Amino acid sequence: MIISTKHLFGLVLLLMLIGCRSRDPRKLVAIIVPSQDNPYFATEAKAAAQRATELGYRVRVDTHNDDAYRQDNLIDVAIASNAAILILDNAGTDASISAVRRATKAGIACFLIDREIAARGIARAQIVSDNDQGARLVAAEFAQTMNHKGNYAELLGRESDTNAQVRTHGFHAVLDHDAGLTLVAAQSANWSQSEAFQKTETILQAHEDIEGIIAGNDTMALGAAAAVKSAGRTGIKIVGFDGSPDAIAAISRGEIQATALQPAVLISRLAMDEADRFLKTGSTGKPEIQIIPCDLVTRENAAEYSNFERTSKKTVEEPRQ
Amino acid sequence: MIEKEKFAGVALLLLKLRAVLVLIVLLSLFSILTPDFLTANNLSILAKHVAINAILAVGTTFVIITGGIDLSVGSIAGLAGMVAGGLLTVGVGGHAFGIWLAIPIALLVSCIVGLLNGVLVTRLGVAPFIATLGTLYIARGAALLSSGGKTFPDLAGTAATGSTGFSIIGQSFLFGLPLPVWMMLVIAAVAALVANRTPFGRHVYAIGGNERAARLAGIRVKRVTLLTYIFSSLCAGLVGLIIASQLESAHPATGESFELNAIAAVVLGGTSLMGGRGSISGSLIGAFVIGALADGLVMMGVSEFWQIVIKGAVIVLAVTADQMQAKVQARLMPVLLRSRMKVAQ
Repeated sequence: MIISTKHLFGLVLLLMLIGCRSRDPRKLVAIIVPSQDNPYFATEAKAAAQRATELGYRVRVDTHNDDAYRQDNLIDVAIASNAAILILDNAGTDASISAVRRATKAGIACFLIDREIAARGIARAQIVSDNDQGARLVAAEFAQTMNHKGNYAELLGRESDTNAQVRTHGFHAVLDHDAGLTLVAAQSANWSQSEAFQKTETILQAHEDIEGIIAGNDTMALGAAAAVKSAGRTGIKIVGFDGSPDAIAAISRGEIQATALQPAVLISRLAMDEADRFLKTGSTGKPEIQIIPCDLVTRENAAEYSNFERTSKKTVEEPRQ
Repeated sequence: MIEKEKFAGVALLLLKLRAVLVLIVLLSLFSILTPDFLTANNLSILAKHVAINAILAVGTTFVIITGGIDLSVGSIAGLAGMVAGGLLTVGVGGHAFGIWLAIPIALLVSCIVGLLNGVLVTRLGVAPFIATLGTLYIARGAALLSSGGKTFPDLAGTAATGSTGFSIIGQSFLFGLPLPVWMMLVIAAVAALVANRTPFGRHVYAIGGNERAARLAGIRVKRVTLLTYIFSSLCAGLVGLIIASQLESAHPATGESFELNAIAAVVLGGTSLMGGRGSISGSLIGAFVIGALADGLVMMGVSEFWQIVIKGAVIVLAVTADQMQAKVQARLMPVLLRSRMKVAQ
């Protein structure tokens, strides 16, 4: 037995020696997004990773699944890996502050995308899409497709998510001024398709006269559309938010009427470009908070969009400051 | 014959030490594959991450040795964080509490959930799996209700209101190591001492080995079992406080599926889910295996989906090894006993 312990010990030493090999000279970019099974987050991660590789960086993509503690651990690991840049779609506006502060103190340039944190002066930049403007765009389109009359229901996102609050606020800023429209049911479906399906089924049972459903994101809009279909109802207008490929396909088929497309690809590229500039010159040349407008996607222009960016027409979008 | 005995001894020892072996292999592997893994800084971070799961695992080890299970620890961690967060920021009747009240109250609330678990299991005869599944939901629901699903922010506090100090629990260092690591070491040391050197520890093993026999031997089975659930929930409450302190905020969803990580660490450490067999040190090593795996795979840049598969595979292998150990032990016991008797002669 003593011999085998000695063998083991020797093996470990040997492995450790091999471990002291030269490291990859490229600087590391850690990209942390909520999940990779959601097309929006997968796309923003991919776009950032692609641009980082083009700019000559080494890339690692991690996911925190909206768990602030997991995010905290991942940021620790990024610090231990001597990452130069952190591109983060964070797990909570308040719960992420201490982790981002720790990363910044450790010398990582932090760039937040998609969601803000409730603190200024810690991250080098916070680049987000204009949820309020997008919500108003979609709400105006929703009112129009309903001919400004009838009862409607609202599916809200996860309550702890600031974007859910901003979007519903934006919806109501438009819809509450429309005297012909009446909100008869408002439920949170936690951004989830299956939950939206169940909630919509219940709402349809309780309110037979519903003519429209406005959802805080596309996944919930798709869930609502499926519930409407399975209930055998027609003519119910549905709008979403995000501009996911599935939603755009559904818009083309006429199952959903409209969505606000968040320019995820553009935001990721901007973040990576600014991070690169920051490392090279010591400044991003931009203010910390940058808000990028959303695009309205309807059946007319659905073909121009794919995967969270406008592909057929080239537009130069300057961030609104 | 001597060869066979020697082989049997080695095989059994390897099976018993499997968690240590797996840990050594993992650490070596990650050290080779990622140059930043074997640095003092990273090992300190790794230990800090492990501390969370290890404290939970040590707490549930006693429960599992009695033959029970505690599924509610993740929810209790979430609830404890919310109680502390609520008391520190909102308080009761508009009057926020200081840390010297908020922390004990949060731990007390955790113990009450543990007491509920224990009462359900010992007095009302509810199966541990079901009882703690129920309290898993109750504690999680209570955590969500405490804030209406929102986060309690800014737990670092301000000097003006005298509410500072909460971030010490999770963020400070002592002799170069994060404070949570020291908490893990102290809790594990005390728990190991209790398990191996006290009548209480012997009673826990006896209950898991044969509850009826333990009762007939005069062990107060109900009281001992109840205490194991309370200890488990106390550890869970502490974990909730550490996390809230690290994040400087409390979110009601904190700790989801932590119970499964804790159970995985316990099983990896060689504790039998059937009860009666296991050790605190094993659970500690099991937690290090799971923690090293999680951080190492992230450092290597392995995709999240593969990380999940690998973690599952390690747990399955651990349980398989557990079964093998039991079988080998049963088969070799006569051989080993005979050789020991020879030595004694």
